[in-house]
Amino acid sequence: MAYTLRGRIESRVAAAFVPLLAGCILALVLQAWWPVELVGLMLGVGLLFDAAYHRLFAYQPGWAALPLGLLELGAIMGLARLLHVGAPLWAALAFYAGSWVLAQALGHAIFPLARLSYGEDGGELGRAGPGLAATALVLLTAAGGVAWATQPPVVHLAAGVHQGPLVLDYSQQLVGEPGAVVRGGIVVTADDVTIRDVTVVGGEHGIQVDSAERVLLERVTVLDATLDGINVRRGQVTIRDCSVSMRGNEFGQGIDISFTADLEPSLVEDCLLTGGQEGIFLDSVHAMARDNHVRRTTLRGITVTEMAMVSVDGNTVEDGLGIGIFCSDYSMCDIRENSITRIRPDPDSSDSMREGYGIVSHYWAHAEVEDNHVSRSPYEMGEFSDAYITSE
Amino acid sequence: MSKVCAIVGGGLAGFCAYATLRRGGLEPADIAVFGTDPDPAAVWRIRSASIRQRRMRSESDGHCAPSSFPGLAVRAALRRRSAAPLVQSVCDRYNPRVDEFLEHVEELRAATRWDESFRLSRVDRVRAVDGGFEVDDHGVFPHVLLAPGHPGLAWPEELVADPRAVHAYAPHDFAETVEIVGAGMAAATEWLNALAAGASVVSVRRREPERRPLNLPRELFSRRGLAGYHRTTTAERIAILERYGAPSYPPGRAWDEPVETARRQGRFRVASELNGAPQVVCATGFKRGFRHDPLLARLVAEHGLETAEGWIVLTPDSTVGSLTDAERTLALAGAPAQWAFPAADTLMGAKYAARRFFRKVSAWRTR
Repeated sequence: MAYTLRGRIESRVAAAFVPLLAGCILALVLQAWWPVELVGLMLGVGLLFDAAYHRLFAYQPGWAALPLGLLELGAIMGLARLLHVGAPLWAALAFYAGSWVLAQALGHAIFPLARLSYGEDGGELGRAGPGLAATALVLLTAAGGVAWATQPPVVHLAAGVHQGPLVLDYSQQLVGEPGAVVRGGIVVTADDVTIRDVTVVGGEHGIQVDSAERVLLERVTVLDATLDGINVRRGQVTIRDCSVSMRGNEFGQGIDISFTADLEPSLVEDCLLTGGQEGIFLDSVHAMARDNHVRRTTLRGITVTEMAMVSVDGNTVEDGLGIGIFCSDYSMCDIRENSITRIRPDPDSSDSMREGYGIVSHYWAHAEVEDNHVSRSPYEMGEFSDAYITSE
Repeated sequence: MSKVCAIVGGGLAGFCAYATLRRGGLEPADIAVFGTDPDPAAVWRIRSASIRQRRMRSESDGHCAPSSFPGLAVRAALRRRSAAPLVQSVCDRYNPRVDEFLEHVEELRAATRWDESFRLSRVDRVRAVDGGFEVDDHGVFPHVLLAPGHPGLAWPEELVADPRAVHAYAPHDFAETVEIVGAGMAAATEWLNALAAGASVVSVRRREPERRPLNLPRELFSRRGLAGYHRTTTAERIAILERYGAPSYPPGRAWDEPVETARRQGRFRVASELNGAPQVVCATGFKRGFRHDPLLARLVAEHGLETAEGWIVLTPDSTVGSLTDAERTLALAGAPAQWAFPAADTLMGAKYAARRFFRKVSAWRTR
């Protein structure tokens, strides 16, 4: 088809109409805004690309829809990641694929049937075009407005020290201004809480998440907790760009997420964890730990245990005592592209597992390993108590 | 006056207009079609058979149905239970078979009840009168679409009385050596036909043909290219029409390989002049210009219509501006409508005029 620019835009917007409606309905059903955000991204990227296509293609053959669709998909996925759109990957791909197929059906069959001169008008939809565009825009704006209006309130934490513990028992975004410090810990008991740019000093747990879902901890710093830096029980969290220092704490964990296997997966990424018994402790969970930096732990760098299903991906573990990455107790661990350095034997333990292993699979656990790099440690990998390690 | 519309011309362009009007809700009783053969494909059938055409130059949407979907590729895919025509279509590689196209015309003829509206009559005169247009003595119609077709076969002057000459669009066989004059789609088809029949071929042409899949660049089939076309001055538009009136035929191995093989065997060569072969096939297309069509020539003369060279000046919606208003419409379709749509002599062009004619009729009916 030799589209006009107006034709491209009108066809694009009209084709986005059903996905937009579906996105709104999905958002209501799932009580999550990612479907609307995804449609918004799809439409935005599509319209942006349309301007480029108009210059590049005087005529666009039918087959070009496939590579151009993949190109747009790549851009959308990249932007979704950049903007932290919380869409599950396969759901997002399925949504995009469905929308693409629908757009093809509309462009090749339904629009030409509804408007006889669709092709020779270069994809323009006549009087219906601006109407559809306006309706779609209104719908998107309305959905966006509702999304905005129902966002948790933003609580700004001024610079300076605030005496805790703070208890967040309703949905909100707690955003610290530079220099904002909470002394004595934060407890989260409500769903849909975000804590961003806050430093927490002291407390039993620096940040405790108790039976709360969709909790986002972003750019938080935790210092001097007496038990765990971040402790999650029966909760679902995304922890991103955090720093947890457990230096001098003999028994605590940097991040401990436990007993959440029946919930949506949790994510720990791009965190710096220093000191403590274990840097990241994942017990009976579905989770992903990626691109974290764990160092100077006294028991294990990263622990996955008790029937957990965890992807441990791209982490750096160094200067630990005994074990770098530990997969135990019927857990299934996907351990890839981690760098493990300077794991020392534990002189105070008679346990053979603690003789300085990069990766240990223990007690009926199954660790799938690929492209890990273990260096300056006595042993690269070990299997104990009927556990096993495989690689592709 | 009971009829809403008259279609003057019972060929494919008129048929496309009829199908479009019928889809728009007009009944056969609302439409009168004047033609010389009840089969809308009669003339086209003879011409395509004469050049032994097996596949259309047009693609999936080169059909007479009012909407482009489902096209002939979809029909072929369903009939053959194969996705191949659809895949070829999205790659712009699908050209329907002539027999499939003719079958589609037959089906559409029955489905639209064309025969109920058809009147066997050659129209000599269309005259603007109060409330519409008088079509010979058949009455007055508020909306008339003229689709008279090509005004006749074009012959090189020097061959008009030459007994060796036969036109490509007239039934013929091939002599042992044949000179084929022209360089367009018909000429290229005739090269292959003559070579396949064992003849030696001399392609007589004054210029190298252009190679493009369709008669015109694709953007000129849609508003993308038409917007610029409609903004041109008279001189520019004449230049465009003359440029694209030059011969062309599609690229591809199916066209080139037989010719190359024959060239290597000494059975095909190009010449700029005739050189005494026992048979000359004139693949020189059709006469051009309204002056060759008595109906159009009379219409122009009686109403002082604006013209440019051989073209009647039309508005972009393919109507005669000076004779069209809210009460009546005079539209042209097919080859004489090139001023509005440069590929007017294609099926796409016929539908372009038909859709705009229907809009006029529809606006009039809903006033």
